Amino acid sequence: MSSSASALQRKQKNEAVVEVCSVRLGKTLFGVPIQHILEIIGSARPQPIPLAPGFVGGLVHYRGDVLTTVRLRYLLDLPPLEGPQDILVLESAGGCFGLLVDSVGEVLTVPAAAYEPNPSILDERRRGLLAGAYKLKDSLLVMLDPERLDPARLDPARPGAARAA
Amino acid sequence: MGRVNPAAGRVGAMDDLTREFLIESQEGLDRMERCLTELEDKPQDKELLAEIFRSVHTIKGTTGFLAYKRLEKLAHAGENLLGLLRDGKMTANAEVITALLRLLDGLRELLKTIEAEGNEGNGDDSVLIGRIEELLAPAQSAKAKSAAAAPRAREATAVRAAAPAAEAEPAAAEPAHAPAAHSIAVAVQAPEPQEAVAEAAALTPAEATKARAQGGTAESTLRVDVALLNRMMNLVGELVLTRNQVLQATAADPNMTLLSRRLDMVTADLRESVMKARMQPVSNVFSKMPRLVRDLTHSLGRRARLIMEGQETELDKSLLEAIKDPLTHAVRNSLDHGIETPAVREAAGKDPEGTLRLRAAQEGSHVVIEISDDGAGIAPEKIRNKAIERGLLTPDRAAQLSERDLLQMIFLPGFSTAAQVTNVSGRGVGMDVVRTNVEKIGGKVEVDSRVGKGTTLRMRIPLTLAIIPALIVRSISQSFALPQGALSELVHIPPERAATAVEWMEGAPLYRLRGRLLPLVFLDQLLMPGRACKLSTERDNFIAVLDADGRRFGLIVDSLADPEEIVVKPLSVVLKDIGLFSGATVLGNADLALILDPGSIAVKTGVTMRSEEDAAQAVEDDSEAEAARMRYLLVEVAGRQAAVPLSDVLRIEQIPFSRIEYIGYRPVLNFEGQLLPVEDSGGILAAAQGNPETEIVVVVCRDGNRHVGIAVSHVLDVTSGANLFEAGTGARTEGVTLLNERVTSVINLGGVPPLPAMETAPEGWQQAAEVSA
Repeated sequence: MSSSASALQRKQKNEAVVEVCSVRLGKTLFGVPIQHILEIIGSARPQPIPLAPGFVGGLVHYRGDVLTTVRLRYLLDLPPLEGPQDILVLESAGGCFGLLVDSVGEVLTVPAAAYEPNPSILDERRRGLLAGAYKLKDSLLVMLDPERLDPARLDPARPGAARAA
Repeated sequence: MGRVNPAAGRVGAMDDLTREFLIESQEGLDRMERCLTELEDKPQDKELLAEIFRSVHTIKGTTGFLAYKRLEKLAHAGENLLGLLRDGKMTANAEVITALLRLLDGLRELLKTIEAEGNEGNGDDSVLIGRIEELLAPAQSAKAKSAAAAPRAREATAVRAAAPAAEAEPAAAEPAHAPAAHSIAVAVQAPEPQEAVAEAAALTPAEATKARAQGGTAESTLRVDVALLNRMMNLVGELVLTRNQVLQATAADPNMTLLSRRLDMVTADLRESVMKARMQPVSNVFSKMPRLVRDLTHSLGRRARLIMEGQETELDKSLLEAIKDPLTHAVRNSLDHGIETPAVREAAGKDPEGTLRLRAAQEGSHVVIEISDDGAGIAPEKIRNKAIERGLLTPDRAAQLSERDLLQMIFLPGFSTAAQVTNVSGRGVGMDVVRTNVEKIGGKVEVDSRVGKGTTLRMRIPLTLAIIPALIVRSISQSFALPQGALSELVHIPPERAATAVEWMEGAPLYRLRGRLLPLVFLDQLLMPGRACKLSTERDNFIAVLDADGRRFGLIVDSLADPEEIVVKPLSVVLKDIGLFSGATVLGNADLALILDPGSIAVKTGVTMRSEEDAAQAVEDDSEAEAARMRYLLVEVAGRQAAVPLSDVLRIEQIPFSRIEYIGYRPVLNFEGQLLPVEDSGGILAAAQGNPETEIVVVVCRDGNRHVGIAVSHVLDVTSGANLFEAGTGARTEGVTLLNERVTSVINLGGVPPLPAMETAPEGWQQAAEVSA
């Protein structure tokens, strides 16, 4: 690749922006690229499933389909939250699923250049779940990747690690 | 095909033209296969030959266009041979037909390779082509003919676009392999005569007339992605739920009643239409049989005529796929064990050519498929000896079983009466696979046989899988759906009996059901390990007696809710792995419920296949069911006793009079979303008029395909009735039976007049609204 082309690319990258839906979980601000979000279901109470792995938050009814939900709190070792939570309906390669979060915030427009991949000191499990972060003015926006949170890919025994094929 | 389903992703990578070509070619080949087997009986049939020629010709033309060299060569060789046959220069003898069938297989293989790999691969077809050329050799004069094939190929490409019109025969709308398997041909009433004519123009005049005739009458079809149909089914399910909620919310508002009634009707119609769209005629599976029969009769040295009836009977696509294997097994069995060799048949004074009959017919919400042969039949003695030899029965037990019950033993695993294992069947895997496959889709299979006369195998298949009847049960404060197909009965244990009802044998809970021990599974303990296995002494307990693929056990639940027709939704892999649930569903009250899988529960809790004892039990249950056919529900209607055949009784409903509505003067009841006419011969409804709180007892009965309600004063008892015979003539009297030593009239369900059709009764609907207002 010639140097002028890469310079051009860098310039474009500097100007490019990403739209991210912000999600609050405990004290941390997380983000999901809006193109992965199909819908937001507010204050839902998923139907619990007996004997399901811990990260499964139950079933919700979404437009004629029954979706499995994933408890982000469980995956990140946060204590469970009482009461209704918001659900992001996400689309991954394997289909749709719901992600249970404390609350859904506004859509932020962040410059693509503000992105940094997962730091090396992050523990292995979180490295498997998180997808880097955007540097905001006074905080970090930790990115979530629907592909990594798809219940079909989470290992019931070791959430965070990819499910053994 | 807006949504690309994952399985089609591979195919999606290939361009539309190729995909279209694959689907069309598969259909063409399927048609060719049918025609070829028919051709054997009518080797001079010009129309058949023309049809076969057309199939190969279309493939050849398109392959040249898409540059599939191997396919083109092979098709070309076939076309040469078919050209001679069509022009009457050769006759289609068995040898030629065999070669053509081989060619067909070769073409199929190639299409499969193209579909899987996107290219033809590098196999060698010279053997096949050589074989065809050998057959061609005597008719060398045809050389000039084949030279003319080149311009014809060009014509064919021009015609290609019109090909769909030629595929339009409903019988040919056959999804053969993967690309087609993801689409269903939907019949649309829109003939395309123009295209048909365009197609016909490329053919000889005789063919052209035929093609034109076809184009005029044939229904046009449209390909629809199965994923889209599933989506539609989902949305309709959603609509049904919304409707239920609207009905509940507007029940109190008289202005809305008419509107919500209409919504109700439209939704029901829509649901039926979408379900219909998933239906395909059984001919899609039956059409594979002539070839199978031909190949098998040749290799087994039998002679058999195949008769197929009721090919237009329709079945859900997924179920059709599921019965393909059992049907093939059954046909193999009939030819191998059923129909004897011509010599044996002649010695027995039978036609040396056997008859194999495939019959499909719809009976209520099931499709019955029968495979019958006029072969040797199955000797009950043989089965009895075999069963004893294999240790499946004790000699004592075997002596007690009736012939019919003995016959059903052929469905047990590892049972084969074939004296000698052939490469077709006889390894004892056939019949139990047939049963397992049929039961997996909620069907039933039974066998009937008479020595020397023949054997009939009967499969009962539900019409659709997407919507199944289920009983909603509750446990650990959640609702679960239990498929009715596996449910054989319900046992109620009141709190006062709870302490003694369950017996324990070293930690294994058992229940004495009519003197036999039934293994029990506590649903709450299964779902929440660690809970104590105990019946509640404070409320009612229920045991759902389940029979899952021959595993019989009782499932203890906290309470029962209404049965519902549920729409089955798939679960994600991680939840399927739990191994207790087969899906989920949304209930009428918008709650979600998991669907319990009785088979998996049995496996998980260690309930084994039924042993000899249990098999005997099942046999007894069967004979009980037979006895039930002559049992009656005894009711009192305005002071007189009357009887309803118990087998026709679906439910006994106790409802307030306010739930009875009127269409004109006809009382009707909205029963599980269906309107049913209520017969009020006793004037019970009339007496309750003006008093909406009065409790009315309605016996909901089945009369053929429809349901009717009978308003009665009380339900008295269930008793067995005997038929009465007229003194002197001995003729059976209709309409009366002897119950508890009293002559009792049997209510004639067929005599309840049907409800007026929607179009003719708009005033009636108006009135219905007013009454419920």
